[in-house]
Amino acid sequence: MLAAGLVVTLLGFVVAVAGLGIAGGTSGRMAFALAGIVVSLVGILGLVNGHYLNVAPWKK
Amino acid sequence: MRVHRTLLAALAIAWCVVTLAATAYAQTPLTDADLKTAGAVTTDRANGDPDGSLTGTASDIAVSDAKKGLTLADVLNQVGANRIGVNFTWTLLCGFLIMFMQAGFAVVEAGLCRAKNANHTMMMNFMVYGAGMLAYWLIGFPLQMGGAGAIANLGGSPVLNSEFTVHLFGKDFGLFGNTGYLLMHKGTYDVAIMVVFLFQMVFMDTTTTIVTGTCAERWKYSAFIVSTMFLGAFIYPIFANWAWGGGWLAMLGANFGLGHGYADFAGSGVVHSVGGITALACGMIVGPRIGKYTRAGKPNSIPGHDITWVLCGCFILAFGWFGFNPGSTLAMSGNGGLRAASVAVNTMLAGMTGSFGALMYMWVRYGKPDASMTGNGFLAGLVAITAPSGFVNPIASAVIGLVGGVLVCLSVEFVDRVLKVDDPVGAISVHGANGLWGVLATGLFADGRSNYGGSWNGVAGNVTGLFYGDAGQFVAQLLGVATLVGFVFTFAFVVNFLVDLFVGQRVSAKSELQGLDIPEMGALAYPDFAMKTGDFATVE
Repeated sequence: MLAAGLVVTLLGFVVAVAGLGIAGGTSGRMAFALAGIVVSLVGILGLVNGHYLNVAPWKK
Repeated sequence: MRVHRTLLAALAIAWCVVTLAATAYAQTPLTDADLKTAGAVTTDRANGDPDGSLTGTASDIAVSDAKKGLTLADVLNQVGANRIGVNFTWTLLCGFLIMFMQAGFAVVEAGLCRAKNANHTMMMNFMVYGAGMLAYWLIGFPLQMGGAGAIANLGGSPVLNSEFTVHLFGKDFGLFGNTGYLLMHKGTYDVAIMVVFLFQMVFMDTTTTIVTGTCAERWKYSAFIVSTMFLGAFIYPIFANWAWGGGWLAMLGANFGLGHGYADFAGSGVVHSVGGITALACGMIVGPRIGKYTRAGKPNSIPGHDITWVLCGCFILAFGWFGFNPGSTLAMSGNGGLRAASVAVNTMLAGMTGSFGALMYMWVRYGKPDASMTGNGFLAGLVAITAPSGFVNPIASAVIGLVGGVLVCLSVEFVDRVLKVDDPVGAISVHGANGLWGVLATGLFADGRSNYGGSWNGVAGNVTGLFYGDAGQFVAQLLGVATLVGFVFTFAFVVNFLVDLFVGQRVSAKSELQGLDIPEMGALAYPDFAMKTGDFATVE
C-alpha cells in the first residue's frame, strides 16, 4: 500500500506535466493540472497515510 | 503698418535666435572640463561638518587616473557602483534579517514542546543552520542557482550559466544547475555570487527548520542531521531551481504561454511548501508521540511549556519576514526595487488579518481566543502572502492573510484528527497548507501593476492573475502545486524512508518518556527545575 501510494502520488505529477504536451489550450492544461493534484492527494492522504494508519502504534 | 511688420519680423527673428541658442546650450554635452570645475570646489573641514553639508561631494568620487583628474567615465562608474552598492546593501541586510528568523523558529518550537525536550528542540534549531548551510554550500547552491544566469540588480555576473536540461514536448526543461561548487567553481568567486549565495542560503535554512517542528520530541538527533543535509543538498535546491534558477517551472510562460511562468515572489511554494510537505512525509515516517492518540485513535492535546516564548518567537519571525519578502526584490535601485515598500506593507497586512482569522475562528468554535493558534494564524498569513507579496495590492493581501488564518485552524484539525499525523507545532498546516494557498493566491490576485524591469521570467509585461484576466498564470501556479504535492512529497518521502532504514528516525520509547534532553543531548535545558516525565496522557 505504501509503494502504491508513492507511485500514485508521483503519477499525479506526471499527469499534470503531461498535460503540457497533450492539451494545447489553457483550459485543457488546467484540467490536467487539477486532475494531477487530485491524484497526488489521493496517493498521499489516502494510500501513504492509510498505510501508516493501518500500522498505527496506538493500536498495538 | 510697415513699421509694425518690421517690428514683428524682428521679434520673430529674436525669438528664433533665443530658442535656438537655448536649445544649443541645453544640448551641449558635459565634458571632462566641466567636471574639473565641479570637482575643484574646496571645502573647509577644519571646523568639522556639524550639519553634514560638506560631507559627500564631487571630491569623494574615486578617480581612475590622478593625472587626468575627475572624468565623465569616473562619474558614470560611480553612479553604477552606487546603484549596485545600494542593492548589495539592501539584499545583504535582508539576508541578515532572515538569518535571525532561526531564533524565532527556535523559541516558537521549543515553547510549543514540553520542558523535558527543550534542549533537544533548541539544538535541532541551532544546528539546522550549520547542517543545512554545509550541504547547501557543497551541493545545494550549484544545483539551485548554477544555471540561473545573470542577475542584473546585483551586477549581472554571467558565471551562473550551466543548466542541465532535457527536451520534452519540443521545449527545453531545465532540471538543475551545475556551476558554483564551493563558491569557487568556474568564476563563482565573485562578489555578486556571494550576495546571491547568502540570500538564498538563509531561505533554504528556513525550509529545513520547518521539519524540526513537526518531528520534535521524538526525532533521533543523528537522523535529524542526515535528513536536514539531504533537504539542503537536494530536495530544496531541485524545486528552487525549477522555480527560481531558470528551471522548467519558471519557463512555463516563455515555453508554453502560461502567464509569466510559475511566479513565487519570496517562496510560499519554494520555501514554505517544500518545508511543510517534507514535514508531512517525515511526520508520517517518524510517527506520533507516545500518548498523543488513545487506543481508539482519539487525539490528546499535549500543551507546550512556554506560551510566552511562542508569541515572542512569532514577533521575531514577523520581523525577519521584512527581510524575506521585501528583500526578494534584490534591489532598491532600479528594476522596480522601490516596490519593496509595497511588499513590506502587504506582508504586515496579511500577518495582521491572519492573526485575526485564527483568533476569531478559535474564539467562535471553542469559546476562547487560543494563544498558540493565534500565533500560528499570524505566521499563516505571513506564509500565504510570501509568494503573492510582490504582485498584489493591499486589499488582496488582507484577504489572502485572512483566508490563511482560518485555513491554518482547519488544517490543524484535519491533520490532527483525520490524518492522525502528530505535528506538535502545526508546521504542516502553517507552512505546507498555507504555502500552497499562497502559490494559488498569486495566480488569482496578481493585479498586473507590479513592474520589475518590464518582464518576469523572460516574459514581457507584469504578472497578472485569473481575477485580472490571465487564466494562464493560474495554470502555471497549479502546475507548481502539482509539482509540490506530487514530486516534492515523493522525493522527500523516499529520502527520509531511506534515512529511517539506515539511521533510524525515532528515539527509543524509554528516551521519549524520559524526555530527549538527557538521552540525546546529555543535559537538561532547565536543570534547576523538577521535570515532569512519562506518558503525557493515555485517557480514553
